[in-house]
Amino acid sequence: MSSANVESAIDPQALNAQVAHVTETEEDNRMFGFIVFLLSESVIFLSFFVGYIVYKTSASATDWFPAGFEGLEIKAPLINTIVLVSSSFVIYFAERCLHRENLWGFRLFWLLTMAMGSFFLYGQAVEWMSLPFGFKSGVFGGTFYLLTGFHGLHVLTGVLLQGIMLGRSFIPNNYAEGEYGVAATSLFWHFVDVIWIVLFLLIYLWQ
Amino acid sequence: MNTENTRTRDLNRVLNRRRIINLTGLAAVNLLISLWMGQQAYRWLPPQASAESVLVDKLFSFMTAVGCFIFIGVVGTLLYSMVFHRAAKYDTSDGPPIEGNVKLEIVWTAVPIILIIWIGTVSFNTYDQMSILGAIAPVTMKTVPTVPLDRKKEVLANPNPTDTSPPIEVNSRQWAWEFYYPDEGISSTELHLPVNQRARFKLTSEDVLHGFYIPAFRVKQDIIPGRAIDFSFTPIREGRYRLRDSEFSGTYFAANQTNVVVESEAAFQQWLTTAAASPAEPAENAASKEFTAAQNSGRFRWKTVKPAPAPTVNYTSSEKDSYE
Amino acid sequence: MSNALLEVESPRLPPQPETPESWRRFFTFSTDHKVIGIQYIVTAFVFFLFGGILAMVMRGELITPEADLVDHTVYNGLFTMHGTIMLFMWTFPMLNGLANYLVPLMIGARDMAFPRLNAVAFWMVPVFGVILIASFFVPGGPSQSGWWAYPPVSLQNPTGNLINGQSLWLLAVALSGVSSIMGAVNIVTTIFRMRAPGMGWFKMPAFCWTVLSAQLIQLIGLPALTAGAVMLLLDLTVGTSFFEPSRGGDPVLYQHFFWFYSHPAVYVIILPIFGVFSEVFPVYSRKPLFGYKVVVVSSLLITTFSLIVWVHHMFASGTPGWMRMLFMFTTMAISIPTGIKVFAWVATVWGGKLRLTTAMLFALGGLFSFLFAGITGIMLASTPFDIHVNNTYFVVGHFHYVINGAVVMGFYAAIYHWFPKMTGRMYYEGLGKLHFALTFIGINLIFLPMHPLGLMGMPRRVASYDPEFAFWNVIASLGGFLLGVSTLPFLLNMLSSWSRGEAAGDNPWRAIGLEWLISSPPPHENFEEIPIVISPPYGYGSDEPLVSNNPAGAVNP
Ligand code: HEA
Ligand code: HEA
Ligand code: CUA
Ligand SMILES: [Cu+2]
Repeated sequence: MSSANVESAIDPQALNAQVAHVTETEEDNRMFGFIVFLLSESVIFLSFFVGYIVYKTSASATDWFPAGFEGLEIKAPLINTIVLVSSSFVIYFAERCLHRENLWGFRLFWLLTMAMGSFFLYGQAVEWMSLPFGFKSGVFGGTFYLLTGFHGLHVLTGVLLQGIMLGRSFIPNNYAEGEYGVAATSLFWHFVDVIWIVLFLLIYLWQ
Repeated sequence: MNTENTRTRDLNRVLNRRRIINLTGLAAVNLLISLWMGQQAYRWLPPQASAESVLVDKLFSFMTAVGCFIFIGVVGTLLYSMVFHRAAKYDTSDGPPIEGNVKLEIVWTAVPIILIIWIGTVSFNTYDQMSILGAIAPVTMKTVPTVPLDRKKEVLANPNPTDTSPPIEVNSRQWAWEFYYPDEGISSTELHLPVNQRARFKLTSEDVLHGFYIPAFRVKQDIIPGRAIDFSFTPIREGRYRLRDSEFSGTYFAANQTNVVVESEAAFQQWLTTAAASPAEPAENAASKEFTAAQNSGRFRWKTVKPAPAPTVNYTSSEKDSYE
Repeated sequence: MSNALLEVESPRLPPQPETPESWRRFFTFSTDHKVIGIQYIVTAFVFFLFGGILAMVMRGELITPEADLVDHTVYNGLFTMHGTIMLFMWTFPMLNGLANYLVPLMIGARDMAFPRLNAVAFWMVPVFGVILIASFFVPGGPSQSGWWAYPPVSLQNPTGNLINGQSLWLLAVALSGVSSIMGAVNIVTTIFRMRAPGMGWFKMPAFCWTVLSAQLIQLIGLPALTAGAVMLLLDLTVGTSFFEPSRGGDPVLYQHFFWFYSHPAVYVIILPIFGVFSEVFPVYSRKPLFGYKVVVVSSLLITTFSLIVWVHHMFASGTPGWMRMLFMFTTMAISIPTGIKVFAWVATVWGGKLRLTTAMLFALGGLFSFLFAGITGIMLASTPFDIHVNNTYFVVGHFHYVINGAVVMGFYAAIYHWFPKMTGRMYYEGLGKLHFALTFIGINLIFLPMHPLGLMGMPRRVASYDPEFAFWNVIASLGGFLLGVSTLPFLLNMLSSWSRGEAAGDNPWRAIGLEWLISSPPPHENFEEIPIVISPPYGYGSDEPLVSNNPAGAVNP
């Protein structure tokens, strides 16, 4: 190489700032990755929602519901909704307790969240049992069970994850410095709640 | 170092006068070649047997010319570099450190924008004039007859009797075509159309997706089971053409073909009368034949959906190879 | 500043000959991104050969008008599996392999963000690969509904079995989706969070930008395909009626799900190849990448546009007129950011000091093919014309020019370019050039004739056709066989160079880039010392050092 007319403007100060930024912990990476994953996961729900909207708007009023079925009951699902949505606040309190190193408070609120999630699942199961149509009853039956079932699977996953986190809280010093698993589970739970709100609006309120 | 700098300055003065003259000359040559290619484009296509085909071919010729111009321009520049900008064998020095050129970058963002607006507009106008799709297109897209200006007189001279009569029903199934003329109550496995009249169709399918495609007419439409699709075009050239299934429909998809006969009004009426007089009989069916042949051959195959029974029709053609 | 860092031709000993130990690690559950990268690439290439052999049988069938070589059912299975294997088991894994190998090296990281997730994502590839190939042996054979699996054909299931080609196909595609999402989360996190100090966004090599753009598409698009696939699988196995028109379902909705992903998927495929072009051209032209910032930002523009054009695959599917026109314009708009890239490459090469190595030839050949395919793509975007050629060989010609012409050639360019880095050895230039010549001629011989065929109206997915199409098909088949043969010099070159090629040195191309500052093959954990980046990535001709420390550690003084 010929000449060396190097006048590179290297600003050491800017450089140092950037050096500092590498010391992010692996835990932060995991949270970042998890958020990316959740955003992607939400597109599946979005697709199902869009499918539902397309089916509903293109079906004629008469053949949308399976023959003999008038429409979905709202009252019980509404209670379910309230329970699930409030559990989002409860899990938030659990996290707050953990931050304040109040381990028993954490366990208490955490357990309450699990109970509320389980109540939701139970309510859902009861509703399913009482419905006069099945998965194969036309497009409405299909989308109804697909949406509520797929969401229900997520609630179940959430409750199971919460169970694991609760168990791990009994390992001494495990949660001393905050815990990625708890934060991620809680984020997941909020996600599941938000999805349910949209789902409730679409399926139950918009009939 | 010195040479390096002069070279850089040289390159920076890309737009000196001699360069401009040279470039204009080259662009003109490229333009001529591209225009010529645009004319060649017509020869790569089947005969123009419908009003739509005239429009589509013109569009294709235009896009071929534009495409050629871009292609020759870019590839030519690359080839020039490959030939004249090669490093000498033991030359390990670097090229000029040019990192970009805002003016140039603006130009080559603007040019494609202009080009696609141009291509887009031409395509839009073409589509608008074709208006091959009925009902499912919203009313705002106007339904003008598909007749390019230069043919308008000729076609208008013919009154358009099919406009008021119900559309020809096209029934597709795995793997046969059936055409039903509701006014006359005739069914046929060969499509007959009078020349220079807007032909209108109602497309339906009994089982899976099929595609209604006549290359000589440049028209195509998927048929969706459970829907009836309005479709129309204007044949303008007498002859026998091939109609093919264009949406993959299963095992004997390839055999799902038939003929379209475009004939004079008189010959068409004649055909209607003959067909009406003949009793309905099960038509020959290429898919069934292939299916039976496959059953009897020892050749390896997997289980397939059985061909639907051949349609029972008043008219079926045995002429297979005399289409264009 | 000393410029020694850029120019060291390391006087070190050639790397130790591969011992069986290190050879075996490619068959283990390694979490080293370099091992995983090579695992991906080699596995994918094996599937490429398999998919290619299916294509050879297809070309054998198509050399005569009658369906005489194989039965129609077999032919339909062949093209379905050819398309599926080539896309889901060759291109995606291959590109993930390149990304895995190169991204951490290029951004100065020791590994991916999630090494174990990385390994799991890779090992799913052989799993769903086996599932897919096993479908050849179930009753009824593999899926025969084309790689789109459009219902109702895909729901017909003539055997009546629960385990059939179509359900295995759906399972494999779903697993491939899961694996790709895992990969995407990993790569995106890595690029966002593990860049070496000093490597701001606009100091990151273009390849990493394109990989990032591509993986973002995966994250947004794949879930839609998954949703469609789940619904199709339920229709097929449980008996729901989402897409079954006879019971109220809507088969066109499936098409929207499918193309909402599968159109962007083509940019998932091409974007990293654009990245390869952006890396290869500067090195062998000895010039900086022209308009670097605009080039990398246009990758993100392509990502954005790619999400709003999918209906151009459905122009003839019964979409209303307004939709046709809308998506015609959005599709054409893609040529703007793409054009920026193409012109930038041309300007990079222009006036450089070109060295036509095998990698450079493949990159130029790839660019040539891409340009051609892009122009036919714009033609296809024009609705009235697409209506004529949709589902004809014109489309097949268009996409093989990109996917085989640009992507496969771009892949070869990448392999030749980084082979010395990956293995520490040099390939044989002469064999490489032979490989290029055969590939280039083969590709044009087979895929160019498909355009006149399509214009004449020859439908795709047929085992038998009218005699008028015979002439071009014979040429295409001969070209196809040549293309098949062209892989042989490549295989020979790779296998023999890897085992007994000359030692390559750390930076045989005198290329600029973090990966070239360390030994070949790079050591475990890549960098002795995490590099501190102080220059933009393509400093050819300007003698500025790329880093302010010595990432290779003590070895280089
Ligand atoms: C990597 C793969 C890849 C890539 C990059 C592309 C790129 C493009 N493709 Fe292609 N395409 C496929 C893979 C790909 N395609 C596949 C696999 C199918 C078929 C699937 C199947 O049916 O099985 C398909 C099918 C397909 C169709 C559907 C055809 C049909 O089924 O009827 C259409 C229609 O619009 C289309 C258009 C385009 C366009 C506009 C681009 C653009 O991105 C191209 C942009 C590039 C350029 C235009 C060149 C460079 C630009 C310039 C030099 C600037 C100046 C140029 C102009 C202003 C024109 N493609
Ligand atoms: C990355 C994607 C990719 C790649 C690389 C290829 C590569 C090739 N493809 Fe393509 N193809 C698709 C993706 C791809 N294809 C898709 C998506 C479809 C649509 C499917 C559908 O409609 O559903 C399709 C459809 C398709 C068709 C149309 C089928 C039809 O519609 O009826 C044809 C026809 O010629 C074809 C041919 C080829 C050939 C000859 C190659 C060649 O490049 C292959 C070269 C490689 C080899 C040959 C392998 C190695 C060789 C050896 C090991 C030894 C030498 C052997 C011999 C000489 C016998 N392909
Ligand atoms: Cu042989 Cu077709
Ligand atoms: Cu597309």
